[in-house]
Amino acid sequence: MKNEWMYRLSGNLRIRIVGKGLERLLNECTRRGIYIWDVRREGEHSLTCYIFLRDLRHVRIAMRKSGCKLYILERKGAPFWVKASWKNSGIVVGLVVFICIVFLLSNMVWRIEVTGGNAETEHAVRQQLKKIGVERGALQFVVPTPESIQKTIMNNIDTITWIGVEWRGTTLYCQVVEKKQPKQTESHTPQHLVAKKKAVITYMFVEQGQAVVEVHDHVVPGQLLVSGFIGKEGQTEIVPARGQILGETWYKSTVVVPMKTTFYMFTGKKRETHYLRLWSWKIPFFWNDKEQFSQFEKQVDEKTFRFLTWTLPVIYEKVVWREKEVVVREYSYDEAKLAAKQIAREQLKRKLPADATIQGEKVLHEAKENGKVKVEMHYQVIENIAIPQPIIQGD
Amino acid sequence: MIRNWKNKMRQWLTNQMELPADVIVDLPRITMIGHIHIYIENHRGLLLFTDRELRLLLKNGQLLVKGESFSIKTILPEEILLEGKISQVLYLEE
Repeated sequence: MKNEWMYRLSGNLRIRIVGKGLERLLNECTRRGIYIWDVRREGEHSLTCYIFLRDLRHVRIAMRKSGCKLYILERKGAPFWVKASWKNSGIVVGLVVFICIVFLLSNMVWRIEVTGGNAETEHAVRQQLKKIGVERGALQFVVPTPESIQKTIMNNIDTITWIGVEWRGTTLYCQVVEKKQPKQTESHTPQHLVAKKKAVITYMFVEQGQAVVEVHDHVVPGQLLVSGFIGKEGQTEIVPARGQILGETWYKSTVVVPMKTTFYMFTGKKRETHYLRLWSWKIPFFWNDKEQFSQFEKQVDEKTFRFLTWTLPVIYEKVVWREKEVVVREYSYDEAKLAAKQIAREQLKRKLPADATIQGEKVLHEAKENGKVKVEMHYQVIENIAIPQPIIQGD
Repeated sequence: MIRNWKNKMRQWLTNQMELPADVIVDLPRITMIGHIHIYIENHRGLLLFTDRELRLLLKNGQLLVKGESFSIKTILPEEILLEGKISQVLYLEE
C-alpha cells in the first residue's frame, strides 16, 4: 500500500460513475493497473471513488464499452493547488511588491536635520551632503557611513569646527558646531595700544592716538606704544587708539629628527570579502581570494537593513584587508638637517598668526647624537605686536 | 484424476513443511480487524458491491461478506480492503 500523503500530494479526483455493471468496470480498471480507493456505493446504478489524475484517461478508455458515465466531483492535490494559486497570483505578487516597496522606503533618507549652525552654514552643509549623494530619496545602503560624511564635511567647510552625524531611523541628524569667528571689534571705548611681546618696531601706522615710540625702538611686553590721550596739555582728549604696529620678534625652536625611521606603508593591494550576516551566521557571498597578507590592516563596514521601525537581523558586512609593509627611511646627515629645518618652519607657521611673515632664519646649533640630528633654529618674524588696553577712567 | 492427485500432493507438502497454506495452495488469505476491516488477498474479481454486501470470486467458489455501510478502501487485481460494519463472512461452494 502506498503512503497516504502520496495521494494528497499528487493530483487526485473524486468521481461518480453511473451505469450498469459497475463491478465489471471496477474489475476492468484494476486489471489495467488503475489504483482506486474509497469506493462507495450510492445506489443501484451509481458509485463514487477516488482515482489519480493521471489515471483519468485510462479510466475513460476502460469505460468505453460499458455504457457508463463519469462525473468528476472534486479535484484535490498539488496540481490543483498550483492552478488555484495561479488564479490568486495577483494577490501574491501584490504582497511581494508591497513588501519590497515598504522595504525600500524604510531604507531611504527621508529627512536631513541640521542643527547648531546659522542659515548660511546649514545651507553649506546641505549642499555638501548633496554633493556626496545624501539627499532626500537616496537609499541608505549607497550613502556613505556617518564617519566618512563627517570627515568630508569637516574637510570641505571651513566655518565649522566639528560636525556630529548620526542616523536615527530614516532621518540624518547633523549637529554642527561653528567656529567662533572673532568679531571685528571696532571698539569705540577709550584705549591705548601696548606691546604684546619683546620686539623691535619696524613699521608704524597710527590711525588715531598719539604715538609714544618710534621705528627701531626696542619695546618690552606691556610697554605703551600708542597713547589714547591726545591734544595739548590741559586740553587732553581721550580717544580709542588704533593703528598697526609691526615689530620684529624672535623665536627659537629645537627639532630632533631621527636618521632612520621605520613606518608602515600600504602597498595598494587589498582583499575584499562581502558577508551577509544572519544573527551570528556569517555567509560570505562574494570575495576575491587573491593572497594572504602577512601584514595588513583590517577594515570592517557594516550596513543594516530596516523594515518599518524594525532593524532586520540581516547585516551586510564588507571586510577589506589592506596589505602594508615596513618601510625604512634613512636620511643622510644633510637630508636630516633639511628635513629638520622644514619641520621647524612648519611648526612655527602653525603657531604664528596668519598675517605674520618669517623674515629670516639662522641655524644656531646642530648636532648628531644617537642616530638623531638635533637642530636649533632661530627665526626673525615680523608681526603685529599691538594689543589694545582699555583706559579706565574715573580716577 | 491427475489434478486431484496434484492437489493432494500440495496439501501433503504443506502439512509436512509447515508452510502457510495460501502460499502453496491457491486459497484466499483473509485478515479481519474486529468487525470494521476485512482484507482479502488472492481473489479473482469483484462480483457484487453494495453498501450492505460484497461478493468476490475465488478460485473455487465465492466469498460473501455482509454487513453495513461498506466502502472499498483499496482495490487491486488480487487484493481488496473493505471497511464497514461486518456481520457475516460466508463461503459459497460452486
